[in-house]
Amino acid sequence: MSSFLTSSFMHNIFGGLSQGVIYALVALSLVIIWQSTHILNFAQGAMAMFATYIGMTELDRGINYWWCVLISVVVGMILGGLTERVLIRPLYGKSEINPIVVMVGFLGVIEAVTTAIWTGTTRNVTEPFSQVYYLSNDKIILLSPFNIFQIVLAVTIMLLVAALFRFTKLGLQLRASALAPEVARLLGVRVNRMLTIGWMLSAGVGAIAAVIIASGNFGLFPTDMNGIFVAGFIAAAVGGLESPIGAIAGGLLIGLAEQFILAYWSPNVAPLGGIIILVIALMIRPQGIFTKKVGRRV
Amino acid sequence: MNRLKFVRSQETTSSRLLTVVLLTALALAITFVLPPVADSQLAGGAAITIVILGLSWLIGWSGQISLGNSGFMAVGAYAAGIWASHHTTTPLVFTFVLATVAGAISGLIVGLPSTRLRGPYLAGMTLAFAAAITPLAQNFTSVTGGSGGLFLSSLVTPSWFLHLFSGQNATINANAQWTADLAVLIAGLTFFIMANLFHSRTGRAMRLVRDNDVAAELMGISLSRTRTMAFVVAASFAGLGGALYTVINTTVNPQTFPVTLSITLLTLMVLGGIGTLSGAVIGGIIYAFSPNLITHINALTGVNPTSNLGSNMQGIIFGVLLILTMIFAPRGIAGLSPRLGRLVKLRK
Amino acid sequence: MIRVEHLSVSYGAVKALQDVSLEATPGLITAVLGANGAGKTTLLRTISGLVAPQSGNILLGDTSLLRTPAENIARMGVAHVPEGRGVIEELTVEENLRLGALASKVNMSEGLEAQYAQFPVLGDRRKMHCATLSGGERQMLAMARALISQPRVLLLDEPSLGLAPLVTAELMKSIRQLCESKNLTVILVEQNAKSALRIAHNAVVLHLGSVVASGDAKTVADDEDLRRYYLGLVEQ
Repeated sequence: MSSFLTSSFMHNIFGGLSQGVIYALVALSLVIIWQSTHILNFAQGAMAMFATYIGMTELDRGINYWWCVLISVVVGMILGGLTERVLIRPLYGKSEINPIVVMVGFLGVIEAVTTAIWTGTTRNVTEPFSQVYYLSNDKIILLSPFNIFQIVLAVTIMLLVAALFRFTKLGLQLRASALAPEVARLLGVRVNRMLTIGWMLSAGVGAIAAVIIASGNFGLFPTDMNGIFVAGFIAAAVGGLESPIGAIAGGLLIGLAEQFILAYWSPNVAPLGGIIILVIALMIRPQGIFTKKVGRRV
Repeated sequence: MNRLKFVRSQETTSSRLLTVVLLTALALAITFVLPPVADSQLAGGAAITIVILGLSWLIGWSGQISLGNSGFMAVGAYAAGIWASHHTTTPLVFTFVLATVAGAISGLIVGLPSTRLRGPYLAGMTLAFAAAITPLAQNFTSVTGGSGGLFLSSLVTPSWFLHLFSGQNATINANAQWTADLAVLIAGLTFFIMANLFHSRTGRAMRLVRDNDVAAELMGISLSRTRTMAFVVAASFAGLGGALYTVINTTVNPQTFPVTLSITLLTLMVLGGIGTLSGAVIGGIIYAFSPNLITHINALTGVNPTSNLGSNMQGIIFGVLLILTMIFAPRGIAGLSPRLGRLVKLRK
Repeated sequence: MIRVEHLSVSYGAVKALQDVSLEATPGLITAVLGANGAGKTTLLRTISGLVAPQSGNILLGDTSLLRTPAENIARMGVAHVPEGRGVIEELTVEENLRLGALASKVNMSEGLEAQYAQFPVLGDRRKMHCATLSGGERQMLAMARALISQPRVLLLDEPSLGLAPLVTAELMKSIRQLCESKNLTVILVEQNAKSALRIAHNAVVLHLGSVVASGDAKTVADDEDLRRYYLGLVEQ
C-alpha cells in the first residue's frame, strides 16, 4: 500500500488533483456567470488576483491569515458586483462581441493597475500549512499538508456553492433568473439583483482560487492567474460552460492531463495539453460533454 | 446609405491602387522628415498595421473573434527568425514568404476546429492558443533559443540609399530610414491586397456568412471553408507582420509575444475601427507613437515614467480606451470621421 | 381593480396597441378576444410591466403602474400566467411553486399544501422535473404557481392553447370558480372566443391593436357582426 502511494503514478494523480481543484474552482466561477448572463468573464483571473493582493498584503500588517483570506473574498465579491453594475449592465442585449472586448479591456486595466500598485515582483505569502511532502518509508508521497488544505478548501467551496443553488431561496431565484429571466420577473424575482449577486458569487469563488495559488509555491504575482484562467476556461468549455458539475469534472481532467503529459510525454509540449483536450472535446461534442437539456443542476 | 453604395460602385482595382500608391508615397515622404528614432517607431507601426489588417478582416468581416493573433505573430516571427539566423544569405523576400506561409498554416490549424465554435468559445480557444505559444517557444530551446531568443543580422542598407545621407550619423540614420521605408512598402502592399480582398467575392461571401449564415449556406457558400479561410488570411497577415517586426528589431524572443499583445492588437483595431482598412492604419499609427503620447501624459500628470505607475500607464490607458470605445463609439475612430473614411474609400 | 386608460404601445414603427381602454373588476372575468396579432398579448405584457407603453395609463386600484418594474408589479399582487405557461422545465414542480410564493408573504408550507389540495396531480409529481409534465399538467402548475402568492389580479394569456376540448372546458370552469370564490380580478386573453365567452362576465374585442367592441359577455357573444368578422364564431 505504502509503495503504491509513493509510486510515480500516484505522484501524478496527487499532483494533478491539487492543480485540478484550482482549475475546477475557476471553471465553476466562469460557469456561474455564463449561466446567468452568457458572458465569459475574461477578467476573472485578473480580478481575483487584484482582490487577493488587497487581502494578502494585510499579512504584512500582522493580520491573521484567515482574516486575510476573508478580506480577499469580500473584496473580490465587491469588485465582481461593481463590474456587473458598471461595465456589464450597459451591454446586455448587445452583440456577443461587445462584452468580450470590454472584459478583455478590463483584464488589461486590472493587470496594469495591479502591477502599478504592487510591482511586478513576486511577493511571498506565509503559507498557512507546511509544503513539505509526506513521507512513507522515507519515500515521498506527492502530497503536503498544504495540498490537503487546498483540496479540502476547494471541495468545501464547491459543496457550499452547490448547496446554495440547490437548497436556498436565493439559489432558487438565481437558477430561475438564469433559466427564464422573464418568467422569474413575472413571479416577482428581482432578476437584476440576481445577476449582480451571481457576479459577486463568481468573483468570490475566483478569489478563493487565487488565494490558494498565491499561498502556494508561486507567491503573489500580478499575472499569476492568466495561465490558470486559460486552464479554467478550457475546463469549463470541455464541460459545456452550462454545467457546474461539468466544470468541476473538466477542471480535474485538465489538471490530471497536464500532469500526465508532463510525466509521460514531454514537458516541452505540456503547454499544449489543455488546448489539445479542448479541441478533441469540442470536436466530439461542440455543446460540451456535460450539457444536457434537462437536469442541468448544481 | 445610397451615397455610400454609389461611392463603392465606382471603386475599381485601379482606383484602389492609386489610393494605396499615394498613401504609401506620403508615408515614405514622411520618413525623410522624421528623426531616426521616429522612423524606427514608424517601422514597428507598419508591421503592426499588417497584423491589424488581418485581425480586422477576421473580426470585422467574418465575425469571428480571435484573441490569438499574438500567437500567429509569434509563429511568423519565429519562422523568420529561425530561417534568417541560419541562412543569412537568402533574400529577405524569401524569409517573408516563409513566415507568411507559416502563419497561414498555424491559422489553418487553429481555424479548423474554430469553425465549430462561436463567440466566447472561440475567443477562449484562440486565447488558449496564444497562451501556449510563449511557453512552447521557451521550452524548445534548441530551435528557438529559449528565453534568450534568436538574433538576426541587421538589414543591409543598399549603397545608393546610403549616398543620400551625409554628416555625423549618416549610416545610422540611413539604416533607420531604410528599415522604415521597407516596412512602409510592405504595409502598403498588404493594404492593397486587403483592400481588394474586402471587395472580392470572398469578402462578400464572408460578410454574408457573418450576417446570415443560413442564407449564405443556401447560396452555396461553404460555411466551414469560409470561416477557416478567414483564419488563414488573418494568420498569414499576422505571420508576415511578426516577421517584419522581427527583421526590424533583429531579434525574436518569447517575451515579445505575451498574451497581452493580443489585447493590445484588439485595442488598436477597435480604436481604429473594426472592419475598416483606415482603422488598421490608424491603429498602427497609434501603436507607433503611443510611447510618445504616454511620455507626454506622464509629464503632464507629473508621474515618474520609471515608477510603477509610469511604466504601467500604457496598459491602463489602452484598457480604459478599449472599454470606453466599445461602450460609447463601437465603430472607432474611422467610424467617427466619415470624411477620413471617404478619403481613402474604405467603407464597408 | 385594473383600469387601462388610452394605452398605446409600439415596437419600433409597428403600432401594437392604439388608444386601448378597459376596466376589470374584482370577482369578474374580463375576456380579451381577437385574432392573432390583435395585440392581446402585448396588452397583458404592458399591464405586468414587461413592455413600456408610449402613452396612456394603467391603474391598479388608485396606483399607477407606469414605470414600475415587472417584478414590483408582481409583488403588488398582479399574477401573470404568460403564453405557453412559462413553466420552468429544468426545475421541479415544487421548485416552480416555491418560486411563485417567494415574493409574497405567504407561509411557504401552507401555501404548498393548499395548492396540492387544489391540484392533487401536482402533489403526486412534486419532485419531478417539469419537462415531464403534460400540457394540462403544465397549465395546472402555472395556475397554481400564480395562485400561491394569493394575488388580487390574475392575467391569463391563452390558457386553452394546446389543450384538448374537454380539458379546456374543465379549466375554464375552475377559472370561473376561482374568480368568484377569491374575488379575483381576472383578465383572460383568448383566441378561443367560444370557451372564453362561456365563462366571462365582460368582453373586449381587439382588432389590429384597437378596441372594436366591449361590453358584457352576453352582448358580445350575441352580436352577429362581431361573431362573423372578429371572433370567427360563425358555423359554416
